[in-house]
Amino acid sequence: MTINIFLQIFLIINIFFMGVLATIAIRHAQAHFKPAKVEPGKPVLPVSSEILPANIKEQLLKASQAQFQTVMQHSAAQFHQDLQTTAERINDLVKRLATVIVSDELERYRLDLTRLHNQAEIDISGIKKELGTHESELKAKVAQELEAEKKQLIKQIDTKLADAVESFLLETLQHNIDLGSQTPYLIAVLEEHKADFAKEVVDET
Amino acid sequence: MKLKLPEDISTPQDFKSVILDTQKYAHWYAQNSVKQQLPSVKADEPPVISESTINLIKQLVGEKTLNKNSLDELIANLKSLEASLPRITITLAAMPTSSIKKTLVSWCRENIASDILVDLRFNSTLLGGMVVRYRSHIYDWSFRREILAARERFPEVLRRV
Repeated sequence: MTINIFLQIFLIINIFFMGVLATIAIRHAQAHFKPAKVEPGKPVLPVSSEILPANIKEQLLKASQAQFQTVMQHSAAQFHQDLQTTAERINDLVKRLATVIVSDELERYRLDLTRLHNQAEIDISGIKKELGTHESELKAKVAQELEAEKKQLIKQIDTKLADAVESFLLETLQHNIDLGSQTPYLIAVLEEHKADFAKEVVDET
Repeated sequence: MKLKLPEDISTPQDFKSVILDTQKYAHWYAQNSVKQQLPSVKADEPPVISESTINLIKQLVGEKTLNKNSLDELIANLKSLEASLPRITITLAAMPTSSIKKTLVSWCRENIASDILVDLRFNSTLLGGMVVRYRSHIYDWSFRREILAARERFPEVLRRV
């Protein structure tokens, strides 16, 4: 922004000097080709012109014309050269400015890219970490659920099996009971728990 | 003196029948006493009373002579005994035969109380073993309970087969 303002001011100053030089050149040309009229009352200074012979006058005129032309040509050439130099400098400056601006922009762009890249890497690593954690949690949860489901199924199968066996035994055995063969067992059981009955009697008394 | 119940009076039902027999006898005795005062009326035959009832009555009355008052007292005594005698309920898987009944009753009278009444019942779903109820406790020594208690082990056993 500062460079642009400086460049604008520099161009404005150049244009101002060019205007001044153009004005001076126009005034010189006007004074040469249209000399000012002499008033009747006023004394004419170049008295000597009337004294000078016509050929010398002519010669002087031609010499001064040639000198003026030389000066003009020299000024024009110098002006042209100055203009060219200025243009070159401006071009150089513009190039340098453009280069600086572009390199700055590129550097900033690179820095932004690096920053974004780093940020993205951090984000991606965070996401990866979260994904890993979530994945391991999910795996553990699924494994736990599967294990629970497995246990539940095994338990259900065991229960069904136990029910089936139990029903089978109850259905089969209750029609074939031989108490005679059980008598020793019954007495043995009673003997085994004789103390319990004695305790009952003691507790009651 | 502790009452010694005869072997065939082993259940509460047996004891109830003793009371009924005694009441029947007391009733006959009262009627017969009146009839004896009238020479024209012939006395009835005494009612048939089981041997065990006679034994028990003898044990309770002792040397005393039987009359209306002593019979009433005897009936009251028997009713009071019915309420106070110890009882045990044994549920078996099938209807017990007389030998099994005898074995169980003798065991109970030898080991628990000599005057205990044994109430024998049956329930075929027990499969075997017995369920004993004595005073405030129920002891389940049936095969059914054993099977149900071991039901968790069935799959384990089957897996080993």
